[in-house]
Amino acid sequence: MVETLQRAGRHAFSRFEAILDTAFGPKINPLYHLGALSFFFFWVVVASGVYLYVFFETSLGGAYRSVEYLTHGQWYLGGVARSLHRYASDAMVVTVLLHLAREFTLDRYRGVRWYAWITGVLLLWFLYASGIGGYWLVWDRLAQYIAVVTTEWLDWLPIFGEPIARNFLGGAAVSDRFFSLLVFMHIGIPLLLLLGMWIHIQRISGARTNPPRPLAIGTLLALVVLALAYPALSQGPANLDTVVDVVRPDWFYLTLYPLIDIWSHGAVWGLFIGGTLLLLLLPWLPRRREPPAAVVDLANCNGCGRCFADCPYSAVILRPRTDGLPFASQAEVDPGLCTGCGICVGACPTATPFRRVRDLVPGIDMPLLTLRAIRDRTLAATAALTGTDRVIMYGCRSGPNLAALEKTGVATLVLPCVAALPPSFIDFVISRRLADGVALAGCAAGDCYQRFGVDWTEQRLAGARDPYLRKRVPRARVAAFWAGPAGAAGLVDELGEFRARLRALGPYRRGGATPPVSPPPDSPEMSHAAYRVG
Amino acid sequence: MPLIEWDKKFSVGVAAVDHEHRELIGLVNDAHERLLRPGDDDAVMDFLGEIYARISAHFALEEQLMRIKNYGHYGEHKADHERLLDEIRDIMDDYEDDECFGEDQFAQRLKEWFTEHFRTHDARLHRQLD
Repeated sequence: MVETLQRAGRHAFSRFEAILDTAFGPKINPLYHLGALSFFFFWVVVASGVYLYVFFETSLGGAYRSVEYLTHGQWYLGGVARSLHRYASDAMVVTVLLHLAREFTLDRYRGVRWYAWITGVLLLWFLYASGIGGYWLVWDRLAQYIAVVTTEWLDWLPIFGEPIARNFLGGAAVSDRFFSLLVFMHIGIPLLLLLGMWIHIQRISGARTNPPRPLAIGTLLALVVLALAYPALSQGPANLDTVVDVVRPDWFYLTLYPLIDIWSHGAVWGLFIGGTLLLLLLPWLPRRREPPAAVVDLANCNGCGRCFADCPYSAVILRPRTDGLPFASQAEVDPGLCTGCGICVGACPTATPFRRVRDLVPGIDMPLLTLRAIRDRTLAATAALTGTDRVIMYGCRSGPNLAALEKTGVATLVLPCVAALPPSFIDFVISRRLADGVALAGCAAGDCYQRFGVDWTEQRLAGARDPYLRKRVPRARVAAFWAGPAGAAGLVDELGEFRARLRALGPYRRGGATPPVSPPPDSPEMSHAAYRVG
Repeated sequence: MPLIEWDKKFSVGVAAVDHEHRELIGLVNDAHERLLRPGDDDAVMDFLGEIYARISAHFALEEQLMRIKNYGHYGEHKADHERLLDEIRDIMDDYEDDECFGEDQFAQRLKEWFTEHFRTHDARLHRQLD
């Protein structure tokens, strides 16, 4: 059931992702930055909100009047701020819901990732509560409608001694103080939301809370254009002496409101509580079995901290040495946080295939696919290759499907993440002439399943992050393809070009015919590597 | 007789760094010993690979210490490390490709490479790492 939903969702998402990849390029595809975009929208709402607060009057008569003044009297600033405030909030609802759906389809919500899921689900309601308070403050007909429906809905709960909806049945009951309370709540709840957003990202390292600059600028411009073209307007002043019948609700925030009208209040509470509980329990329906966590071998660990620096899940910590060796610290893995991606192995300086085979145990290793197994499989897979365009391709479980390459005569080896491959493997394969070239295939450039696998790999290849791929390795013999699961077809073509290049280079000779360091200018693969350096 | 004897001039006064230097000297000597034994080429390669792994880890730890202590010449020192790593890889490949002359010459090269590493430890670094 869960798998069927995930497959269907993944299918839909990958179609849209492909379209946006073409439109924006994978580095700034908005679907790869939904979490960061949600943070961005939050800050747009905060900035515009501060401006609105300066002019907002917290009184029964003043609320509507001051918002009207902002919208019309000061349309170029106040009006834009109001529209930005409203549309960025709407956009945040959209990106948050898409973020939730996408992480579900990618199966990144259970196992060790339950924490981000649970905190994220709870944040949804803080987001809704923040927004609904905002509609209320405008004090127009829509606000009146929301006030009545919300309070009636809340009154269904047996916790209020006196029905609070009664306050909105006649004009005399609502006072200026009530607006002060509303403003207080409209600032307090978003602050709690921000606190929750901070808690939400605690278990991942280097959380991306800012979208790439081009995406941020483009998004802000789009919001400003929308604000000028379709300014957010009030729907006539509230009048508590009349009953509101026709309003145009905002579907992003007020999806449930028409239901409250149609269904009984109890049924909507049931839907709300039941839906929330279902979402909260989802990571355990069923629970995912993670691959065994990475293991540290103290005899090979001097506490250099590279695994700690590269782990995308904060699963590796450095703690004081326990084995009496004169090092200050040692790596330790928290199995409750480890997804078994192996990026730590790719970072470990002792993880090199040049070592003594018998003792090939790095400082940190993956039990499911040990470094020694990667070495053995590399040797076995390359032994069958012939010609002058022999290629071994290291792929990632979530990247392009390498099965499509079987007929092309390329050796393939699938890792949990392409960054689990220590760069010295590339040096090993080429210098030992096990193959003429090494290809790496991973997720789309802006969308690494294991968060930082693509970034770290690019930086290691470019000599911008430890461990560097040695300068002596001819870059023309290394290619990286970032494509994601749907990119296998394109991969075949690009691989063909890469092999043609290898044939032109001829057999590997040290310091001889092959260009030693810099990639040729017509090498699109390596231009990715240059992208983030510096 | 070992190729390199531990000498107190190798000591930098940081227990972890000294410990690794001793380990490395042991490995270099082991590789040298295998080198003198005829028909043990694979074992020599294995030891060279081990030296490469250990020196990589050793540099990684030194770099971490330098970063923690905000060592002002980090960039230069890091570049030295990368150069030395390239050199040991050259030595390994020369041995593998049989482009390396007699045993004595090879041993001499290994020794020079190793002692070159100590020249990268200048007085400033010592003071900062203490």
